[in-house]
Amino acid sequence: MTGKNLSGDVIAVAVAGTLVVLLMIAGCLGNEGGAATSPSQQITVTGSTTVLPIAERAKEAFEAKDASAAIMVSGGGSSVGIKAVGEGTADIGMASRDLKPEETAGYPDIVRHEIASDAILLIVNQENIVESLTLDKVRGIYNGTYTAWDQVGGPDQPIVVIGRDSASGTREFFSEYVLKKEDFVKTQEEFNSNGGIQQKVSRTPGAIGYVGLGYTDAVKPLALDVNGTIIEPTLENVSSGLYPISRPLFMLTSGEPEGLVQQYLEFIMSDEGQEIVASLDYIPVWR
Amino acid sequence: MKKEQAAPVPFRDFRRIRRPETGVGPSPAGATRHLVDWTVGKLLFCAALVAIAAVFFIIVFLLRDGYQIVLETGLWNFLTGAEWNPAGQHPAYGVLPLITGTLLVMALAMAIAVPLSIGSAVFIAEIAGSGTRTIIKPAIELLAGIPSVVYGFFGLILLTDWIRIAFDQPSGSSWLAGSILLAIMAIPTITSVAEDAISSVPREFREGSLALGATHWQTIKNIIVPGALSGISAAIILGMGRAIGETMAVLMVTGNAAVIPDPITNVFSPVRTLTGTLGIEMGEVAFGSTHYHALFGVAVVLLFITLVVNSTARIIVSRMQGTARSGPHRALTAAASRIPHAASAPFGRVVSPRTSQRCAFLLISLSVAIVLAALGVILAEIVVNGAGAISWEFLTGSPSDLGREGGIFPAIAGTLYLVGGALAIALPLGIATAVYLIEYTAETPLTRSIRAAVDLLNGTPSIVFGLFGFAFLVLFLGFGVSLIAGQITLGLMILPTIIRTTEEALRSIPGSFREGSYALGATKWQTISRVVLPPALPGILTGAILSIGRAAGETAPIMFTAAVFSSRFLPSSLTEPVMALPYHLFVLTTSIPGATPQSYGTAFVLLLLVLSIYLAAILVRRRYNHAKVM
Repeated sequence: MTGKNLSGDVIAVAVAGTLVVLLMIAGCLGNEGGAATSPSQQITVTGSTTVLPIAERAKEAFEAKDASAAIMVSGGGSSVGIKAVGEGTADIGMASRDLKPEETAGYPDIVRHEIASDAILLIVNQENIVESLTLDKVRGIYNGTYTAWDQVGGPDQPIVVIGRDSASGTREFFSEYVLKKEDFVKTQEEFNSNGGIQQKVSRTPGAIGYVGLGYTDAVKPLALDVNGTIIEPTLENVSSGLYPISRPLFMLTSGEPEGLVQQYLEFIMSDEGQEIVASLDYIPVWR
Repeated sequence: MKKEQAAPVPFRDFRRIRRPETGVGPSPAGATRHLVDWTVGKLLFCAALVAIAAVFFIIVFLLRDGYQIVLETGLWNFLTGAEWNPAGQHPAYGVLPLITGTLLVMALAMAIAVPLSIGSAVFIAEIAGSGTRTIIKPAIELLAGIPSVVYGFFGLILLTDWIRIAFDQPSGSSWLAGSILLAIMAIPTITSVAEDAISSVPREFREGSLALGATHWQTIKNIIVPGALSGISAAIILGMGRAIGETMAVLMVTGNAAVIPDPITNVFSPVRTLTGTLGIEMGEVAFGSTHYHALFGVAVVLLFITLVVNSTARIIVSRMQGTARSGPHRALTAAASRIPHAASAPFGRVVSPRTSQRCAFLLISLSVAIVLAALGVILAEIVVNGAGAISWEFLTGSPSDLGREGGIFPAIAGTLYLVGGALAIALPLGIATAVYLIEYTAETPLTRSIRAAVDLLNGTPSIVFGLFGFAFLVLFLGFGVSLIAGQITLGLMILPTIIRTTEEALRSIPGSFREGSYALGATKWQTISRVVLPPALPGILTGAILSIGRAAGETAPIMFTAAVFSSRFLPSSLTEPVMALPYHLFVLTTSIPGATPQSYGTAFVLLLLVLSIYLAAILVRRRYNHAKVM
């Protein structure tokens, strides 16, 4: 008897489960049909999280003009972007660094399109009284020469050094340009995103970190002291090249772009596209 | 998720008697039934081999990309090198600081979690009234349902800050922060498994002890906890497995500096774990470079450590079972001999049994209070801040302006697609494997290796599944970043949970049911499909639901295989990538400035989704516990 009752329950549960799944699928399909006509052409864009905001905003603006186009944007990192476009699993790759020798050798067909550049800002906690640093002082902090803020004109407080992970394009650029390839201090705390560093610095009084131009909420960006001239990290100073720490951002295609890929890239390079770049706190390529 | 010793032995022997009998009865109907039996047996066998195949492919693909680092640096230098600096002018690939970090974080996490969990388990099983129990038990289990990226989000925002201020440290990102977070994550696992073990200590032990005049605490301390020891150690090992393999939460709070704490007991030092290294460096590393191979080397080391921990656990548990099983009588008499000891309150005793009971119960209640407070703080933080972000548009719209505007509908749907697909893959395979293991074979080297493979899969960190899915499905098989790659990766990840819970459910069906069915002339397959599986269904269902919860909340396996940050359309085929809630939350919190309300909103929706799945599991279990006649 027990067995019979239970198998009745089994059927009930199975039926209920199936119904729920069907409803979910029906709901999803229904919504899809109502939201938009199915895409006539579709491309995928993947790679660097630094470039992602540009790709995403440009996609929104582009799709608003061409309702049939579907552009899918995902992150993952510069290497993912290079690999994906090289292997043909994505139509456009995004990279915040140049290709490495291994990569150029592996994928000789990749074409680079410089779409913007990105400044790298030094940020400290808002409570910190330090306003500017020379590049030598910054190097001293990141290679471990200075360990307390009073050594660089600040309060008597240990410096908490924050940086990006060792695979990051941002860190690579910082290491070459600021550190002259010296090793980072070993106790540097590492985060894998600009947002992570910004969060950390905003909550830690003794912290210093480096991020892109867009990540200055709730933290204090430091000015750079270049031979006695204080240069504020403003969009104007970066665009004019006065502020020295900036690097190019790329979109990559396999061979010369065609079709929707070409239209999308042309859109990003157009005035409207470059307005988007500027509005996101990146530096347009027109300078 | 119960320990293995619950197996009723009788039908084992019976199976051997049964086999020749199936051949009898040369009538045509008998022959077809025999054929069905044979076919089903072979099919189940094939399904059971999938677990072995999965482990084989995981190991092969990790080694394929990882062995070059050993050629380059030498095995010894790789394992004992004290410096991890892949980006330096003279790149160094020494994983010693990472191994140390992993072990330190795990050890301290266990030191925090084990007393709290065992305290909670004892409280739920022994002290709480049935009313309190029905609230506290599910509440602690809900802690297990909170996705790890939500824990990381919480840790990043509240925990590290608290440590910095409370202990007056320059930075709160530390070994301690990682350990506290991992402890909170391991507590529900340890508590629920230990509670099962304590509850399964036979009633007579308890009654005997109390009848001899021992206090409740003396009974718990001397009779019940020792009796449940093997289950409790299994619980601790499971918790350790969870702690070693955790990625997303740990990398958000430990600071990730590749240093060995100086001195080694400095809990405020930042540390870096093996999983954290994979989590933060994998996305950006150049393919085919030495650094890339080194990361796969790290994954191999990680897999090896989990393997060692799991096998040690198996050995300990089976040894304990060996002694416990050899004679329940002996255990009983041993316990009985302890009872008068405990009860007679020797003259030298300083504290009266009643006082010591009061103290012990106070400590136990305190541990429950701490666990519940942790749950309360996390839930309150997310609910209070998240509920405000929820609106009809947020739930049904597509994201715009990098997720700062619009909604998260594609992410909700994408998560359901991923989980549905993972379940469609793992459920049939998992149930078939479990049926094969329990009903079709006696212990042979083959079943032992299948079980070992399942155990290994179970202990495999989710980030390793992610790497495997990426190397094998996305690149080698050419699926690209796609729905199907994510579904298979998640399916493999939840497979061991489904196999384990199904096995446990099948074991709890008494051998006499099967014997009765065979005696009535039913074939093996008829017996399994009509007599054994139906009453085991609630157990299987609970396992399935718990794995849905796990799959829905995981970030690490999908971030390299299936997830995209934004997509206007829902996927129309399996080869397209999807949005997913945990990945969306991860990107929002770490890469998009000014999206805090949406982060909280997404965390809230994810939490709601996962918790309602867990709630369903708890309700199903309760309904069938009432209905259970056995």
